Amino acid sequence: MNGDFLALLPKNPFAQLPAASASAHVPLQATTVFAFHCAEGVIIAGDHRATAGNTVFSDKTEKILELDSHSLMAIAGVPATAFEMARTLQTTFEFYRRSQLQGMSLQAKIRALSKLLRDNLPGTLQGFGVVAPIFAGVDTTDRESKPAIYFYDPLGAQFEAAEYAGSGSGSGSIKAVLHFLEKWGKPRPSEMSLAQATVLANRLLMTAAEFDTATGGVHPERQLFATLKLLSQDGIRTISIGDQDRCWQEASA
Amino acid sequence: MTEEPYRWLDAIGNRREYIRDQLKGGTPVFAFSRPEGILLVGIGHGMSKVFEIYDRHALAALGHPVDIEKIRQAAIEAAHMEGFNRSAEDVTLRRLISFALSATLKNSFEQIFSPPLMVEAIFAELGPTSGEDVLVRVHYDGNHHYETSGTLLAHSDPKKEEAAGAWLRQNLKPNDPMVKVASACLTAWQALMDDKPFTDLSLPKEPLLQLDGKTVEAALLDRKMAGAVHYRTLQLNKLKA
Repeated sequence: MNGDFLALLPKNPFAQLPAASASAHVPLQATTVFAFHCAEGVIIAGDHRATAGNTVFSDKTEKILELDSHSLMAIAGVPATAFEMARTLQTTFEFYRRSQLQGMSLQAKIRALSKLLRDNLPGTLQGFGVVAPIFAGVDTTDRESKPAIYFYDPLGAQFEAAEYAGSGSGSGSIKAVLHFLEKWGKPRPSEMSLAQATVLANRLLMTAAEFDTATGGVHPERQLFATLKLLSQDGIRTISIGDQDRCWQEASA
Repeated sequence: MTEEPYRWLDAIGNRREYIRDQLKGGTPVFAFSRPEGILLVGIGHGMSKVFEIYDRHALAALGHPVDIEKIRQAAIEAAHMEGFNRSAEDVTLRRLISFALSATLKNSFEQIFSPPLMVEAIFAELGPTSGEDVLVRVHYDGNHHYETSGTLLAHSDPKKEEAAGAWLRQNLKPNDPMVKVASACLTAWQALMDDKPFTDLSLPKEPLLQLDGKTVEAALLDRKMAGAVHYRTLQLNKLKA
């Protein structure tokens, strides 16, 4: 017994999806997600839009997924594959914690996502299952350690982001703004309070939406805000719509 | 030889006697369905007796540590497979016990040429209200029953188990605070260990929340806990009156 849920799974498989063929299917895509350090931890945010080609498929997609009490995954790419990866990781982490009577290390969690991406290589190469996620986690065994942000390429290579990471079609402009602010901003995003970081995250998504049709769903005037979560040593906190609205109103006053 | 029916019955009888004898050294475990959630308690010398199984499920057991571990792993595997392939809502004790664990225990007990699983256990499932909680008493031979009173204990001696259960049910009301529940639990445990009769036993005036030289292990399947996971460990001596 090694606590590996993925080793257990093939012994008792559920109905598998038939092998996909690379036909003229237009894949569903989810963009944009990003994460950055603020004074209170890591802010991880995403818009709500999912698109299929030039069609808006949904403006209510949740792209920031809690994997366990101290790790998060932000998904960009094909939601079908990404949601399944998140669900697999959720079960894998909890299965390990319960069966081994200790939590999985942060490094093992980071590698677990990397392995799932590598196992998805055929889907990635054929273009119907590309996922480029962001992972945020914190080492719970060390109270002094700070949350870390990792981003991945679709083949599974992992990179730690010192300050910020972004993924999805709208992430280019967001990364550019975050780079600028981290270098010359006063305050820098990493020095911002939660309220300041909340406003920044929404403004970044609205900026991305100006240049990318696949990014959307953030309209403060209609009480539509980003999916926003804060990760710290204390765990994950979801920033509610009410809290985001209050921060937005205070910043606009 | 064992092909002959009476010899097989003889062997099963011997096996039952052997298991009961081996379980005598085990100390009882308890489960209480309360408005706050389900409290599980085990007392011993540091060896774990109370375990998380799934989001709303827990196990408390006595017996051989290796056998408890086998049952625990089997329950965790079955629960996670079901939760992954269907949903967390589909993980129910009724299915877990009936289709996964009970059959395993029965097979193990009746295969007389292999070592038996020496475990007496309580499984708990948290519902939206205490009336919807599920407590199941599972025996080493796969036999099991569902307890509807909300108070359950597992002990190696069935008569003492019954007496302690009756005393606890008589002395605990549905809305009693957790401190009183914990104190009654430890009082009953101490009486079982000292072989005192329950007829004369009364609740202590000062809550009994720890036992000298013993490790009190407690967990709560917390009804109010946010998120999917409801299991959390509890320190009884930090409970407030």
